[in-house]
Amino acid sequence: MKAFRQLDNLLRAAHLAQRSAVLRPELGLGPLLFFVLSLGALYGFFMGWYSVSVHWGQSGADGWLQLLASTLKFPALFLCTLLVTFPSLYVFSALGGVHLDFEQALRVMLAAIVVHLTVAASLGTILAFFTLSTRSYPFMVVLNIALLGVAGSIGLAFLRRALQTMSTSVLPVAPVLEAPAAPAASEAQAPPPQSDSSVPPPASRGAPQVAAEAQTARMIFRVWTVLYGLVGVQMAWLLRPMIGRPELTFSWFRAREGNFFLGALQNLADMFGP
Amino acid sequence: MTARGLLSAADALIHDLGREPAAPAQARPLALLIALIVSAAVYGACMGSFSAYSAARVPQIAYAAIKVPMLVVVTSGLCMPGFVVLNLTLGLGADLGSALRAIAFAQCALGVALGSLAPFPLLVYASGASHDGALIGNAVLFSLATAIGHTVMRRRYRELSAQPEHGGRHRVMLWVWTTLYAFVGMQMGWMLRPFVGSPGMPAAFLREEPFTNAYIEIIDLFLRW
Repeated sequence: MKAFRQLDNLLRAAHLAQRSAVLRPELGLGPLLFFVLSLGALYGFFMGWYSVSVHWGQSGADGWLQLLASTLKFPALFLCTLLVTFPSLYVFSALGGVHLDFEQALRVMLAAIVVHLTVAASLGTILAFFTLSTRSYPFMVVLNIALLGVAGSIGLAFLRRALQTMSTSVLPVAPVLEAPAAPAASEAQAPPPQSDSSVPPPASRGAPQVAAEAQTARMIFRVWTVLYGLVGVQMAWLLRPMIGRPELTFSWFRAREGNFFLGALQNLADMFGP
Repeated sequence: MTARGLLSAADALIHDLGREPAAPAQARPLALLIALIVSAAVYGACMGSFSAYSAARVPQIAYAAIKVPMLVVVTSGLCMPGFVVLNLTLGLGADLGSALRAIAFAQCALGVALGSLAPFPLLVYASGASHDGALIGNAVLFSLATAIGHTVMRRRYRELSAQPEHGGRHRVMLWVWTTLYAFVGMQMGWMLRPFVGSPGMPAAFLREEPFTNAYIEIIDLFLRW
């Protein structure tokens, strides 16, 4: 119940992506990691139903094995993508004027993944419904890409706002981290920046300078978003089969050939093909 | 409750559906759900009565009476988790109650509108409509009821959409709900067919091959065309 409340708080603060909301002390790496694993497994579980559904009544355990593989591999996809892209996010965000230490940056990144996975898992009921009512593999691939694309764009919007807020924030990090969970509105009454902060507050920099920094941060974030997207989809390709093509026997991984974009286009063509 | 009491409660509920959102709503969620199920079932029974002159076709009336409310309620249920989470992530958690109430009212309005249109299929069938004619007639009536439901939803969303800070996001969520509902509802309708039933075939709750995909069928239809 406590975990659910934390998740609810995170989602409610997602549009604000305020420092106080994302970097609350109780929302540490442990709970965030738990949410990534559990919500990822939940979406993977819905995803794996397709294989159970198409193999239903057949001898062998291909469907059930694929269900297990999807449940395990989907959270792994996000953790592996995080492993590859987090160092660059940390460096890029620092270059863009976001003053977060390593752990704080990791928490922000994990929070964005949690937002992504929560939205994806909430759309899982729709995925499960179509899984049970269709045997078309290309349709399921396209539907999964669409649902995860929607969820991913919300997760990335959260991350962008979080980094943007933090790059222009005048709040010191330490008091917020030590403060008890407080409503987002209390941020307005937060104490002024401490004099020992190594970062000059925006007020001491000129407005044009702050605007230029914000523009640089936005550009850096855009570049990183492209990298993150490319790594994510290629990671999904490497970890395939995620859904399980019905005519192929189960295997934990497929041969390393092609790439995600070719595969997605092929499925789109198959869906509209004769 | 007496018959008179029941009728006056139904009357109050129908007027509540048409009330401006600013006016205090009297209808409780359970009453809305019951009104939706009963009204949609009445329409379903009339819809399923096509060529019910033979005993073998009579069960289709009961099947359709069960399936029409199912279509509305289950579709809403499947779209609900996504709608709630998207509202929360867009920072609309404080207005979530109003948004859910708008959906409940809209779904109930859709059901009540269907119920009020229930005599129309009977008239169409009695006029000697063919199977295709029956399908088209019911599609038109469903579209009309859906438009009424959507009108109620838009009205109940008016205040949310007019908010200076969150109005734009509420309008996006209204669009998201409509899209999700239409996307899932179409497949649900396809899965739960037959509602009218072919006259030459025995009554059936579901087709022998219910688990096919409506969108793939449409694509195939276009490709064959």
